[in-house]
Amino acid sequence: MAMIKKLSVWIAFLLVMLALPQFSDSILSVSIYNQMAIAIIFALSYNMLLGQGGMLSFGHAVYFGLGGFLAVHTLIMMEFETVYFSIIWIPLVGGLFGLLAAIFIGSFSTHKAGTVFAMISLGIGELIAASSLIFVGFFGGEAGVSGDRTFGPPLFGVEFFQDVEIYYVAAVWVFIATVFMYLFTQTPAGRMANAVRDNPERAEFIGYSARRVRFISFCASGLFAGIAGGLFALNYEFITEENLNAATSGRVLLMAYIGGLGYFIGPILGAVILTLMNSLLSNYSDLWMLYLGIMFLLTVLFLPRGFAGFIMMHQVAWLKGSLKNLALPYLITCIPAILFLVGAIGMLEMSHSEDAIFHFLGMELDTSSTITWLAAIIFTLGSLFATSKSLPQLRDAWEEANTIPEVVKEDES
Amino acid sequence: MSILSLNNVSKSFGETKIIKAVSLDIEQGEKHAIIGPNGAGKSTLFHLISGRHNVTDGTIKFKDNEIQNKPPYEIARLGLARSFQVTNIFHRMNVFENVRCALLWSSNYRYSFWHLLGRQGELNDQAMHVLDQIGLKDKALYPSGELAYAQQRALELGIAIASGAELIMLDEPVAGMSHSEAENAVELINRITEGKTLIMVEHDMNIVFDMADRISVLVYGEIIATDKPENVRGNARVQEAYLGEVATSA
Ligand SMILES: Nc1ncnc2c1ncn2[C@@H]1O[C@H](COP(=O)(O)OP(=O)(O)OP(=O)(O)O)[C@@H](O)[C@H]1O
Ligand SMILES: [Mg+2]
Repeated sequence: MAMIKKLSVWIAFLLVMLALPQFSDSILSVSIYNQMAIAIIFALSYNMLLGQGGMLSFGHAVYFGLGGFLAVHTLIMMEFETVYFSIIWIPLVGGLFGLLAAIFIGSFSTHKAGTVFAMISLGIGELIAASSLIFVGFFGGEAGVSGDRTFGPPLFGVEFFQDVEIYYVAAVWVFIATVFMYLFTQTPAGRMANAVRDNPERAEFIGYSARRVRFISFCASGLFAGIAGGLFALNYEFITEENLNAATSGRVLLMAYIGGLGYFIGPILGAVILTLMNSLLSNYSDLWMLYLGIMFLLTVLFLPRGFAGFIMMHQVAWLKGSLKNLALPYLITCIPAILFLVGAIGMLEMSHSEDAIFHFLGMELDTSSTITWLAAIIFTLGSLFATSKSLPQLRDAWEEANTIPEVVKEDES
Repeated sequence: MSILSLNNVSKSFGETKIIKAVSLDIEQGEKHAIIGPNGAGKSTLFHLISGRHNVTDGTIKFKDNEIQNKPPYEIARLGLARSFQVTNIFHRMNVFENVRCALLWSSNYRYSFWHLLGRQGELNDQAMHVLDQIGLKDKALYPSGELAYAQQRALELGIAIASGAELIMLDEPVAGMSHSEAENAVELINRITEGKTLIMVEHDMNIVFDMADRISVLVYGEIIATDKPENVRGNARVQEAYLGEVATSA
């Protein structure tokens, strides 16, 4: 029974991904789908390190980028007919290169976890990023390298001129990679990664070298990061130093963290949310990076287990059937909270605006008038006050919805 | 035949000599207790044998292998398992996973990433059996970090005994337990270590004199006596150094 239930979740996952272009196949949508696909694999691979293995890496983009660079070079080789195979295998090329890099770097960086590991990852990240501007032959300097994915042999008549064709390839790769990363968590090596994360010392007293356990997770993580990089290369047909530098490494940490490190599905959520914010928000506001930072801060402070953790918090109420009792209390808190957000965002945008008249939600605001500012401040503080006043009722409802005599909790790590 | 022998083992932290030329032979199949006042170096001695600390001097032989200064995992793989005085578990994993992990190496899974644990029927049954023995079966899916103290101590014991090692070392396994909990634990230890070798640090003299075949008394890093319980009880030096205070304070 449990088996069938699990299987149906996986099938639903695949079907939803394959069906996405049916809802919208505009250029923008497909470009977002592809970004999501890449981000999902990348974020899941990051979680193998931090969430599952307790290794905080500031340089995970190295494996993504190196995989991507080799993938683009493979595309170039196809153009010159040095190699000839269907481009659907390009992500695997990226993955193998990511794996190779991880074997080499992991052989010394996984010696210790904690600060030492974090610092080495940072150093390697900087080193590779700097090298990319030195070894111009491979990395192409600031401009990066570009290829053309249409030179490979057509697959069932598909020549991959369109991004949506790549999306289907990406969806299948996301599915395969996700399945294998999930299965990895169910193996002795995957479980011991959790054990070493929790207590590396004790792991050694039950026969496991903490270093070797970390090394295996590290290699697996490099493999999947490389696959994500290969997909990136397929989708954009070019890659630059930006794709392996610290900013990209930081972004993947953000995705995994915001989504929820402790849950397998967390990084998937994080990848989807951040890709959406990234692509949609950036169309509307120059300040989207600021909003992203604020969101990260709020997540760390109030949702330490990420969005997935927030959803899982409702498991008890769901099982108890009292979830519906929470709807109204949530609504009561959400209304002033949303008004507060509107006020805060309005003020931020107003102070950023260079025009005298600022258009915001159908209003024309005079950014130089004291009255406007005063009204905005009163509105924002007022709704903040209302939000804080609404919290006790939410807390009470929460307690009410969650009290049951004895709960058997399931570990999700 | 001795399964473990320490030969002039010394340990210093900086200038301080904590273990001073200790020699000790543990016979195959015996239940050996190590007693001594607080700070005598009992835990340190355990750490030297199990590989947590390197020795400053001397040799330790376990089943004909020199194990001093070897990493803990190599020593564990030879069939030496231990528990800790301060609970040392995998706190974010559930109780069942804790025990199953402790079984993995001895069940020959090594670093496998091609076996799915859910399908290893025998392994899972074995883990459940250990949970049954330590009385935590109904807590199998409970996050181990949230267990009550006595239950965490039981799990600590479970992790040590799960692998079925030949030599089991327990550092104050019943400390902090209530009387009845301790009684259960002792019974469990007796049952589980049948036919095996046990080295145990314990402060409760009733338990020690009841369980041990031989007792070593460690005082300020030196073993002042190793003998049968009745002889240790009568030993004047031991009386003076250690037992006297306990007997009067108890
Ligand atoms: N890592 C260390 N560095 C320095 N000194 C240490 C270290 N570990 C232990 N010691 C010292 O060694 C001495 C012996 O400690 P140990 O824990 O072995 O005693 P014990 O006999 O187990 O005592 P207890 O009955 O309290 O558990 C103590 O004085 C302790 O302070
Ligand atoms: Mg001690």
